[in-house]
Amino acid sequence: MSRMYVLEVPENEGVVKVAGMDPAITIDKVGPYFRLSCDDDIVIDRRATGCRHAVWYSAVAGLEHSTIVQHDKDQLRVVAR
Amino acid sequence: MSDKPIHRVRGVDHTAFPTFDPAGTVRFYRDVLKFPVVHSICAAGWGPEKHPDFIHFFFDIGNDDRIAFFYYFGLKPIGDPDAPGDSWARLPQGTPKFFVNSRHLAIHVDDEEDLLEYRRRLDESAWPVEMQVMHETIESIYTHDPNGYMIEITRALRPVTPQEDLDAELTVQALCEVAGDQEPSMDKLLTRKAELIVERAAAWEQSIAKELVQS
Repeated sequence: MSRMYVLEVPENEGVVKVAGMDPAITIDKVGPYFRLSCDDDIVIDRRATGCRHAVWYSAVAGLEHSTIVQHDKDQLRVVAR
Repeated sequence: MSDKPIHRVRGVDHTAFPTFDPAGTVRFYRDVLKFPVVHSICAAGWGPEKHPDFIHFFFDIGNDDRIAFFYYFGLKPIGDPDAPGDSWARLPQGTPKFFVNSRHLAIHVDDEEDLLEYRRRLDESAWPVEMQVMHETIESIYTHDPNGYMIEITRALRPVTPQEDLDAELTVQALCEVAGDQEPSMDKLLTRKAELIVERAAAWEQSIAKELVQS
């Protein structure tokens, strides 16, 4: 399972919203963080999030048994280790 | 036992830099940015070492905080003036620009109107704004003063939230642990930070909620 955390701040709303549209991704809360979990890879399209680059490249707060294999202007891909 | 808080400091008294161009420095800070000159010291050389005579002069940067300069009579610029860096330090040719600019002073203003006013003042001068950037929660303008020191003027787009303070605390804790690793990396930091989130974030939120109920 791939799993990552995103802090709940207004700038990160787009990231969580786009992740929430993928039925394979489960989202719950741990304190003020959103926890995104997926049996497969977590893939988030940057343009769909509407994030500017500064927000986009600082949106990941934590990785649980997972690693980032792509984080560029197109998408974020988090895979299980 | 003192009933004073643990954290007692009250901001910047002054931050000090050397200059080899006092006239340019005064033009930039006093005439262009309109920072008042608030203090100066004319001192004959002192101390056990051979110390040149010098002028130490200060500009108000708001909030009673100050930026100060040293001008040393007879001292020639140190290092290759064409090398990257500033009057305090010249770095080897080829030093990456992000590293050269990493050390800078950021001064804050209240709102967009004030930020744009400083932009206007700089753009009409010999030191125009080099970059205007909207980061996540701040908007900033940047230029280099006559000494090569990078100056940022910035405004907050929104107040910092309590969860961002928690997040910063967890990041810094993870960083301290990971920086001691043979090969520190972002991957290692985010992995450690996830553990800290699991350990501390839920309890933190409960304590914040409790505080809110009590207040």
